[in-house]
Amino acid sequence: MANSNTTETRGPLKRLLGYALHDKKRLWQALLLLLIATAADVTAPLLIKVFLDDYVVPGNWQMDAIIWIGIAYIFFMLLAATTNYMQAVRLNVIAQGAVQTLREQVFARVMRLPLSHFDHTPTGSMVSRMTNDTESIKELYVNVVGSFIQNMMRILGVIIAMAILDWQLMIICLLFVPVVAFLMWLYQRISAPLFHRARGLLSDINAKLHESIQGMRVVQLNGQQPRFRRDFSSLAEEHYQARRRNAHLDAWLLRPLVDLLQKLILAGLLFTFAYQSLDNPVEIGVIYAFVTYLGRFAEPLIEITQRLNLYQQAIVAGERVFQLLDTEVKTISPDDNARITSGKVELDHIHFSYNEKQQVINDISLMIPAGKFHAIVGHTGSGKSTLTQLLLRFYQPQQGLIKIDDQPLNSFSETELRRAVGIVQQDPFIFNSSVRDNITLSEAIDEPTIIETAKQAGLHSHIERLPQGYNTILDERGSNLSTGQRQLLAMARALVHRPQILILDEATANIDSHTEAVIQQALMKLRGKVTLLVIAHRLSTIEKADEILVLHQGEVAQRGSHVALINQRGIYQHLYQMQTMELEDE
Amino acid sequence: MIILQKLSWFFRLYWKRYAIAFVALLVISCLAMVAPWITGQLVDSIANDTLTYEHLIEEIALLLGIGIVIYGLRVLWRRQLYGASFKLAALMRGKIYDHMTLMAPGFFQRHHTGDLMARATNDVTAVEMTAGEAILALFDGVMTGVVVLIMMVVMVSWKLTLLALLPWPVMGYFMWKFGHQMHDTFSEAQRQFSLLNDKTQENITGIRLIKAFGQQPQMERAYSDVTRDVSAANLAVAKVEAKYDPVIYLTVSTSFFLAVAGGAWLIYQDELTIGELTTFTMYLTFLIWPMFAYGWTLNLIERGSAAHTRIDELLQTTPAISNDGARNSVESTHIDASIKRFAYEENNDVLHNINFQIIPGSTFGIVGHTGSGKSTLIQLLLRMHEGSETTICFDHHDIKTYRLETLRSQFGLVPQDPFLFSVTIAENIALGCPEASLDEVRAAAKLACIDDEIMNFPEQYSTLVGERGITLSGGQKQRIAIARALLIDPPVLIFDDALSAVDLNTERQILAHIKTARRGRSNIIVCHRLSAVLEADEIIVLRHGTIEERGRHTQLLQLNGWYAQMFRYQQIEAAVQHG
Repeated sequence: MANSNTTETRGPLKRLLGYALHDKKRLWQALLLLLIATAADVTAPLLIKVFLDDYVVPGNWQMDAIIWIGIAYIFFMLLAATTNYMQAVRLNVIAQGAVQTLREQVFARVMRLPLSHFDHTPTGSMVSRMTNDTESIKELYVNVVGSFIQNMMRILGVIIAMAILDWQLMIICLLFVPVVAFLMWLYQRISAPLFHRARGLLSDINAKLHESIQGMRVVQLNGQQPRFRRDFSSLAEEHYQARRRNAHLDAWLLRPLVDLLQKLILAGLLFTFAYQSLDNPVEIGVIYAFVTYLGRFAEPLIEITQRLNLYQQAIVAGERVFQLLDTEVKTISPDDNARITSGKVELDHIHFSYNEKQQVINDISLMIPAGKFHAIVGHTGSGKSTLTQLLLRFYQPQQGLIKIDDQPLNSFSETELRRAVGIVQQDPFIFNSSVRDNITLSEAIDEPTIIETAKQAGLHSHIERLPQGYNTILDERGSNLSTGQRQLLAMARALVHRPQILILDEATANIDSHTEAVIQQALMKLRGKVTLLVIAHRLSTIEKADEILVLHQGEVAQRGSHVALINQRGIYQHLYQMQTMELEDE
Repeated sequence: MIILQKLSWFFRLYWKRYAIAFVALLVISCLAMVAPWITGQLVDSIANDTLTYEHLIEEIALLLGIGIVIYGLRVLWRRQLYGASFKLAALMRGKIYDHMTLMAPGFFQRHHTGDLMARATNDVTAVEMTAGEAILALFDGVMTGVVVLIMMVVMVSWKLTLLALLPWPVMGYFMWKFGHQMHDTFSEAQRQFSLLNDKTQENITGIRLIKAFGQQPQMERAYSDVTRDVSAANLAVAKVEAKYDPVIYLTVSTSFFLAVAGGAWLIYQDELTIGELTTFTMYLTFLIWPMFAYGWTLNLIERGSAAHTRIDELLQTTPAISNDGARNSVESTHIDASIKRFAYEENNDVLHNINFQIIPGSTFGIVGHTGSGKSTLIQLLLRMHEGSETTICFDHHDIKTYRLETLRSQFGLVPQDPFLFSVTIAENIALGCPEASLDEVRAAAKLACIDDEIMNFPEQYSTLVGERGITLSGGQKQRIAIARALLIDPPVLIFDDALSAVDLNTERQILAHIKTARRGRSNIIVCHRLSAVLEADEIIVLRHGTIEERGRHTQLLQLNGWYAQMFRYQQIEAAVQHG
């Protein structure tokens, strides 16, 4: 990620836990239930202790008292089971809510990221952060937080119970705590970078998958499947190696070690106890209780350490998600009242570069009066498309000011700008939904308007040939339409939203001349009502323009009307001659 | 359990790792039994006042020794078992990827990118859990269970053991029931995750459109719906999962209750000592884990099998284009196509009654309306699609009789929408022959009129492009794709409207370069600008999926049909421009 976060000082754990606080009421319920469950869980063995010490050992067979103990035991058992289930469900509801909120926030942030971010971040790895990483975070709430609280309470309960029985022995058991705490700290330090690496590699796997799927046809046609397979499997292997190292660390430091510690304490306990008994008589029931309590004391600690890798994984995933969430967006402060009414466009000494090394736009100025038709021509790579991207506010120019209706571009709210400025792109994106939804973009537009617009864009006859007409579901990448048909659809999409300013960026490149003429007519009807900015190779498309701007290496080389330009020596005349010569060759 | 059978290829492959883990676990569960036995003995000797100091030291030392051995073994099996399951994940991901490389375009139309990605990541993780955690729980649970039971019967009392086990069958029934629910809910959760992945992927890919049309609020609402569904599906899984613990807890507690009550009765009957009862209840605590393990195993197995089914769905898809031809050499590039009819979907013919031949060394033009089937025709030639009523012969043999690699190596296609990978420009051009030298790459780039521009980039041919690299214009991408095709110097070069984003001057230069560089080889040119096919040996005009006109440029003009009309139209354009 290009923008790493430095200002945020709150740790990822605190931030993640913050999401659980949204549902305070449920959280309290869950904690209360957890408390009851734990208390009931600790009480049950106490009853057994009482039963053994007071009744079995002395041979005191008082039936009614014994029955009461039995009933109490069953009661606590049922109570523990029920409350446990109820708290688990509540914690899960909280967790799912938290993950959902997080996903929505990340998505909203991603949608607002500047486009330059998307130019440099592989789609697959961004998807990985938004889905796989958020999925791992869920574990924090479900498996870590609940288990941690529960086990801490258990430990506390056991400590209290032990203190009542024999405080010296309690101290022996308590030795456990700092040692385990140290282990946890150590584990966290060592494992964090390992987890980061593993999750980073999972991201890479996603990125690779994404790219391969998009470009599979190219791979196949070039017979490069074996090479791509090798590349992918070595990436999967790297991911495996990283995770194997994680597993090794888990093995050395987590459960087995805590288990060993438990054995040490058991030995210490037995030794102390037996050693005491060499001189003084001891209560057998106390030994029984202690051995049981030690088990009950170690068990929660073991469980905590068992969850430690889930915890660490969730924290690392959280860090990755927050990185995306904290990516700084240069905030423009729009004026909500700024409106685009006439569609006058003005570019004032614009300079722009994608990478700050190579200047793409160099000091371009341009004024399009409302309702006029301007065109931009030039060789490929001369900066034509970049200019439209600046006008759409996809990128911010490094120098200069863009104005619409005499107000700075940045003063318009997103809604206002998008309402007023329409674009038809060369490589239009098709959503995986019906033709109709692809045209209206799910806005409520009535059927006659849609069909009328589709006719204007020369699309209607093509749609009629589709099996379900306007209801035909287009697939991702629009592969059930040809490239030309996709461009027509993009045209309809722009027209149906009735923009004040319409930008056509090589929008008719893959369309036959006849269909193009149809579109041309439609455009001419808009003349005077809508400001048109058209980028095209075919000079025929733009000869009727009020002004033509000839770009050359990011600078304005020539400007003027078609007639004026062909009579000038320069690029335009050259481009024009190229085109006519082709036709005169015969 | 079928899932374990389905993964048996992997267990066989890594049987050593599993065997080591198994033995280690077995030894651990036996050794673990010693601790309570020592404890019981100590307690009894304290109670009887028979304990000596030497005896105490001996027992304690034994306890510590066992502790250390168990530690070592625990580390060992974890490394073996988890290592193996992670390996399974890597192998399965490789398998899925390999399989995808065999798939024809139709497959990628049916399966969305985000869905495929989810299966290769999220579902694989669930299967991996089965091969690791579930196998562990199964091994360890069963073994510990059996050993503990034996100890309980042999060392303490069979009557008490039987009594303590009474609640088990009831638990078994519930577990079985939960297993079914788990399978269904988890399947749904994985499906929802796929949808989420898909939606995320689609939105990021379409970000330019979304921004251009100010669709963020709508998209956020739609995304919200998806995340809500995912959460609901996950919650359903969690609710089933939450039932496991209480049931196991109740079983264990009931066992305890019965054991202590029954034990007290036996003590009352003088059939049992207090020490024995202590040992017994300790053994009983050892049974808690096997019981949870049982639930856990079933849970994971259900998850794994739901996920595996989803992966299998992909792996079982047979390639729509089967690569079973044997012919692996080509003499000439003679092409003879005869397409009676072809349709992607029933009753919706895209092409019909098309017959043509392409003589080696000739240039073949395909022109026609938008959507008239030009690109489909190219796909058929390359066998990216095939139909039962189409016969295409290459070198007088049906293309189905060739190995796909052989057939496709005969062609160099420049597609309409060029795709660049996230590698350097040089590597992108050299995609088809990675061993090409920089000079060869540059030569191809010069033919495609892109060399100058590349040399102007700060890092020249080493400039990264694609998702991680610099932003190229549509025309630059197209010319890199042209260079890519020219570098492999294919017997048949295909331009599928590949000059659309290139300006006229450049188009002219590229066509001139190709004319000299490809003397004696076949070219197929699909275009809208007729200027690109003026010199073709034959041109076919497609309309509504069939050939409407055919011939050389001059012949087509004489026909006075669509082609002539289009040509005149383009001439009028020129005339108008003359003013």
